[in-house]
Amino acid sequence: MTTYFKNIYSALYTVLVGMKITFKHLFIPAVTIQYPEVKLPMAERVRNRLYVNMDDCIGCDQCARACPVSCITIETVKSLPTDDPGKTSTGKKKALWVTRFDIDIAKCCFCQLCVFPCPTECIYMTDAYEFAEYNRDNLVYNFATLTPVEIEEKKVNFAKMEAEKAAAKAAPKPATLPASEKHSEGGAA
Amino acid sequence: MTYYTFAFYAFAAIILLSAYAVVTSKNVIYSAFSLMLTFFGVAGFYALLGADFIAIVQLIVYVGGILTLMLFGVMLTNKITETEIKTGVFQVLPASIIIGMFSGVLIASISNNRWTVAEKLNNPQNSLVGIGSILMNEYILIFELLGVLLLIALIGAASIARK
Amino acid sequence: MMIYDFFISIFHNELIAAFLNSIIPVAFIVPFALFAVYLERKVSAHMQDRLGPMRVGAHGWLQSFADILKLLQKEDIVAAKADKKLFNIAPVLTFVGCYAVFAVIPFSSAYIGANLDLGLLYIVAVSGFVVAGILMAGWGSNNKYSLFGAVRSAAQIVSYEIPTTLVIITIIIVTKSLNLYDLSVNQTSNMFNWMIFGGYVEGWHKIALIPFMFIGFIIIYISTLAEVNRTPFDIPEAESELVAGYHTEYSGMKFAMFFLAEYANMFAVSAIVSAIFLGGFQSPFGYLGSTLNLPWLIPIEQFFWFASKGIFFVFVQMWLRWTLPRLRVDQLMAMCWKYLIPIAVVNLLIVALIMVL
Repeated sequence: MTTYFKNIYSALYTVLVGMKITFKHLFIPAVTIQYPEVKLPMAERVRNRLYVNMDDCIGCDQCARACPVSCITIETVKSLPTDDPGKTSTGKKKALWVTRFDIDIAKCCFCQLCVFPCPTECIYMTDAYEFAEYNRDNLVYNFATLTPVEIEEKKVNFAKMEAEKAAAKAAPKPATLPASEKHSEGGAA
Repeated sequence: MTYYTFAFYAFAAIILLSAYAVVTSKNVIYSAFSLMLTFFGVAGFYALLGADFIAIVQLIVYVGGILTLMLFGVMLTNKITETEIKTGVFQVLPASIIIGMFSGVLIASISNNRWTVAEKLNNPQNSLVGIGSILMNEYILIFELLGVLLLIALIGAASIARK
Repeated sequence: MMIYDFFISIFHNELIAAFLNSIIPVAFIVPFALFAVYLERKVSAHMQDRLGPMRVGAHGWLQSFADILKLLQKEDIVAAKADKKLFNIAPVLTFVGCYAVFAVIPFSSAYIGANLDLGLLYIVAVSGFVVAGILMAGWGSNNKYSLFGAVRSAAQIVSYEIPTTLVIITIIIVTKSLNLYDLSVNQTSNMFNWMIFGGYVEGWHKIALIPFMFIGFIIIYISTLAEVNRTPFDIPEAESELVAGYHTEYSGMKFAMFFLAEYANMFAVSAIVSAIFLGGFQSPFGYLGSTLNLPWLIPIEQFFWFASKGIFFVFVQMWLRWTLPRLRVDQLMAMCWKYLIPIAVVNLLIVALIMVL
């Protein structure tokens, strides 16, 4: 009989205690934030979207090789001696035209392994994390700064130069034609 | 046609149609739900006759109690333990004899009765006080005996359920 | 003057007046349901230190309208193996059962749907239709979760009707009336004439009744909470076990009807509890209308008090929902049969004794 009344008492008492707690929480300001308007500050070394500063990129392909998921694709064309691909911010002279620098961010696993090998520190992770797209193709970011026309021009120039070189090499020694042909093929590819 | 007669015929139609559905339906659950409508119609009749307490008790006891019990019975046997409930026509001859006798008695009593409309019908009053005082004064013994009967039934049900 | 008489004086036709009189609660229930959904979201959110809906309108006040719009547009799916007839009738029957209760609830001294002498018993009676509707929904869906939800729900409602009825009988002993309108009028605008403070009884009986009225109030509040299947008594729709109980298979407007019925029921039981124990539509402090000698203001004030008492109890229901975990089935039945019913019976006997002495 005593347990019966004790049960009643503890039931009512605990319900009241619980109600008191929830009532207090009614007036505690919300701990959640209104996301798109308010955003939590990101950690200092947060790893999110990759960015490539093409002014500094020398097209060394090291990031692409470091990538464990092969999400970086780089194509380069050698510059002519008369061209000026510019200098990096550290003053190093560039030798290659970067004709293609694509990062498929949909594949990216945010491991940051591409960032460390970069000799000019031009590829890095930013704190931008809202880059959802309706189309998966839009997640392939093209960082190359050259226009298609320019790329075509550079390629043609390079091929021309190779051809001239080959011609120059071929002129004194016409006998070794097959070897030089092979060389020029390799250069054009 | 007054509203009263309209309501009377509406309730009568509900009772007859649903009672027909109760008897003819092949599906037990349809019969049970049609029975609910029948009870509702009967309650409506009681209300039209000025017997408001009986009407409400009809709803409480039949719709709230007995019908729910029946639905429970059907659901627990048919769906949950997957026992088939037989529906069909059995024992046509004895049934028709009994029904014939019963309907004869009904028709005889209906035709021999002198139908008069009670004065109270035109001026319905709260029947609760009258019923209460009758139950608690004149019929107190029967009332108490009924209570004892129900208690015995309850104890019996509990003891059967325990086995 | 009652609103019904007002309609008759306009249309000179009983049928039109009765019809208009009977649809007034709809005009209250639908906005109330919209408001209650919003309140539920906000209360739950703030009790969990969240903000709740904030996008649709200022502080999300249009959220329930957006929800209703969504429900209206939704495809009305009927499961292929469902029992189509029962499946389609069930939401209507459930809503009718809920709506019928509003017929005897006095909204103010100027409005009551039907001034029945047996109002309190009538409320107990029509809740049988809700049980039948729920069982019909569970059966018609042809889904084991729905069926279990329906059976649990019906068992719960039927069991918890007993303590409710016992408390109602206790009240009848004190008031000698089952008419909710008379009950509300008799409790007057003086707070100490309310039933929870011993009612309008004279002498020492009043003082003696107070503790037992409190017990009755707590019992009827708990048991009506269980009757509307709200947490902590929500095992019929326990999400973690039964998906959503008897309305698992419903979508679109039919689901909206169940939803409306649930919120209407929440308000109905709150209104009944407040009408029985807390003076119904009566103001606790007297009326501005009588002080300023503006008789037309009094019914409006009464409606305000009625609505605020009802909404307060709905708020308490929500408050309990976000405080307490769900009971197990055995705990639920133990609560009803071992605690509420014996206490209600003893309470009934004591009150009867006090009233006889």
